[in-house]
Amino acid sequence: MFVIVTYDINEKRVNKVRKILKKYFTWVQNSVFEGEITYGKLEKCKRELLSVIEKDEDSVYFYEMDYKLVCNKKVLGQEKNYDSVII
Amino acid sequence: MQKSLYITSNGRLRRHENTLYFEMGAEKKAIDIENVEQIHIFGEVDLNTKALNYISQYGIVLHFYNYYGFYAGSFLPRKKNVSGDVVVRQALHYLDREKRLFLAYCFVESAVYHMMRNLRERKEAEAYLIAIEDEWEKGRFNISSISELMGLEGRIRNIYYQSFNQFLPEDFSMEKREKRPPTNPINALISFGNSLIYSHTLSQIYQTQLDPSISFLHEPSEKRFSLSLDISEIFKPLIVDTVIFKLLNNHQLELEHFDEDLNYCYLNQEGKKIFLKEFQSKLETTVRHRQLNRNVSYKGFIRLECYKLIKHFIGDQVYSPLKAWW
Repeated sequence: MFVIVTYDINEKRVNKVRKILKKYFTWVQNSVFEGEITYGKLEKCKRELLSVIEKDEDSVYFYEMDYKLVCNKKVLGQEKNYDSVII
Repeated sequence: MQKSLYITSNGRLRRHENTLYFEMGAEKKAIDIENVEQIHIFGEVDLNTKALNYISQYGIVLHFYNYYGFYAGSFLPRKKNVSGDVVVRQALHYLDREKRLFLAYCFVESAVYHMMRNLRERKEAEAYLIAIEDEWEKGRFNISSISELMGLEGRIRNIYYQSFNQFLPEDFSMEKREKRPPTNPINALISFGNSLIYSHTLSQIYQTQLDPSISFLHEPSEKRFSLSLDISEIFKPLIVDTVIFKLLNNHQLELEHFDEDLNYCYLNQEGKKIFLKEFQSKLETTVRHRQLNRNVSYKGFIRLECYKLIKHFIGDQVYSPLKAWW
């Protein structure tokens, strides 16, 4: 499945959240990650996040799509990061 | 699906912020470590034990290739799927002459099937297809040893490679298959593709309980993971050759993508990237599996062959090699 993650976290914890998301997704913009992931891995990621965030203050959004093709990404201006398996 | 990563640039692989970073000078690229299954390293890459330890926590296999794109070796983390039972039974199938010959025959049968499949739709190669069929039908029933089987396979492969001249662009004509070192572009391509499929198969075997050093068609020599060679036989014509045909016939790869030296030839960095891209998209292509009733990628088919072998070893189901039905 293809997932886009956005987050709004208190400064104290934002780096912790960023580091967790880094393991699972590709960074696209400030506070935005995206990437292909399995259901199991996604759950694991959510668990990790839950142990870090304060529920009444922070928020993390997951936009979950079954197939990557469902999501039509268009870029205006600079593309900040490219995702490729060949570096 | 877990992804394969190919590093063709030079730089440093480093553990940082609980994930992997690839640093090329000032440019840094974060790798989502959870989704990586294997990393193929073609460039000049530095890495330290801190990175290796972290990689092995995730069971990621590293494959190294030298400057010319030949397979150099692998870093396999401590194996997590081990079963002494399967290994013992696998060894029993090697020791029993009949049983070993059966498996070896299966691998060759599937390889020949896929070679013929590649030629079937090409009118120019019809004569070669008939020649292969003749040779196979003539030889397949009187095989009494592994070396005879290898001989038969070698003869068929000879005819098969000769047929390439009929439908590939003239720039890429081939007199004969040459390895160590390849001397012309087409031989370089085949060698490069074969070493890729070899390491991909090894990665898949690593994920299963099979022992990669006990093989059937190839001699289980002490220096290589020869089971990987066995299983690769099936996928060489199915994956590598089709990728080569596509890249050459669509003129995506031209002579400028090869570097030639005194007596050998190899893909340059640009050429490697083009080949890897096509190769990877081939591995990710999916086909509807009739028994499993779901889509299986070409990479998945390699894994399925391993599972079928395990089932064969433990006496669950007799091994029948993959024969592409699509």
